[in-house]
Amino acid sequence: MAALLTAVSSDYSQAMTTATTDEYAEERALIRRAQNSDSRAFEGLYRMHIDRVYGVCLRMTGNVSEAEDCAQEAFIQAWNKLDKFRGDSAFSTWLHRVAVNAVLGRMRKSKREQDRIAAVTEVTPIRVDTGDTGDMRDLSEAVDRLPEGARHVFVLHAVYGYSHDETGEMLGIATGTSKAQLHRAKRLLAQQLKQQGFEA
Amino acid sequence: MNDDKLMQAAQKLATEIKPQRDLWPGIAKAIEQPAPRRWTPMLAQAAAVVLLVGASSGVTYMMTKDNAPQTIVASPDMIFEQASFGNRYNMGPGFQDAHSALVADLDAELEKVSPEARADIEANLKVIRNAIAEMNTALAADPENILLQERLLRTYREELALLRRVSGLTRNVMMRNDI
Repeated sequence: MAALLTAVSSDYSQAMTTATTDEYAEERALIRRAQNSDSRAFEGLYRMHIDRVYGVCLRMTGNVSEAEDCAQEAFIQAWNKLDKFRGDSAFSTWLHRVAVNAVLGRMRKSKREQDRIAAVTEVTPIRVDTGDTGDMRDLSEAVDRLPEGARHVFVLHAVYGYSHDETGEMLGIATGTSKAQLHRAKRLLAQQLKQQGFEA
Repeated sequence: MNDDKLMQAAQKLATEIKPQRDLWPGIAKAIEQPAPRRWTPMLAQAAAVVLLVGASSGVTYMMTKDNAPQTIVASPDMIFEQASFGNRYNMGPGFQDAHSALVADLDAELEKVSPEARADIEANLKVIRNAIAEMNTALAADPENILLQERLLRTYREELALLRRVSGLTRNVMMRNDI
């Protein structure tokens, strides 16, 4: 039985490794073609990574239309900078950083533009569907309501698992500030969830 | 809910979320934009901006060869508008702060240079400002034009670089005079 389990496990690992290697090779091929201005190859990269890019955009903005714009902007920027991608890090990591920068870039837009977006959102609120269910949906909505700085740190550190150093680097803030914003986020989330009677 | 449970719950939140619509068509449109449309005046302006590198070198030469006190000639104030981006967005606060500080000092800096150098600098700034104004007008009509956006951004950088160069050069002149 143990031998069978080992064999099954071994086959499974091998299959997984093969699949991962295949996917990696396919991704590398698509990157090379896209770097030679093949937009169809770039579409392949888009299909591979859009859910993760859109995920971080939606979590950081808390707004569907903003997240869509940011995700599109991220891929356009990625296309324009693709020749600079040397493969030092995983493509998904590089793309994720481009997406975070796209979100931050949009946040720096003029106050007038922000007001316009806020006004539109106020008139036609769009429910943010993250795919989370039950208690996770409550938490997800509470995260959306966090102030911008705290939300960005919470999303990158707590949801996406970046270290405080990485989070600080991506957001252009000090590591200590990242820690302080996380503390603030946790405090605000705990308050919100308590008000909603959330217990875990 | 304590911190640990909150962090554990956060790790369970979805990190991959499918957008409600396919975003590819918009991306494809942007990246497959045909080569720049006919835009002769703006291309000419952009070319003029590129020539500023050469012009700036000329300014450097004129300023460094001439250390004698200069007669200050007052000229009309240069008018700078807030840096905008096709009337839709403004440039970020970092740029605005640096730009405002350099513009505020510009008149004082220009008084330290020779009339010829000053005329050259003002002419160059005028070329850049005209290019920015034209590109902003074009962007207002075609706000999604990535090529225009990038070109405008480059021109803003050129403007900032020239202002910094003026500031740096006059400081150098002062240091030599001091010695």
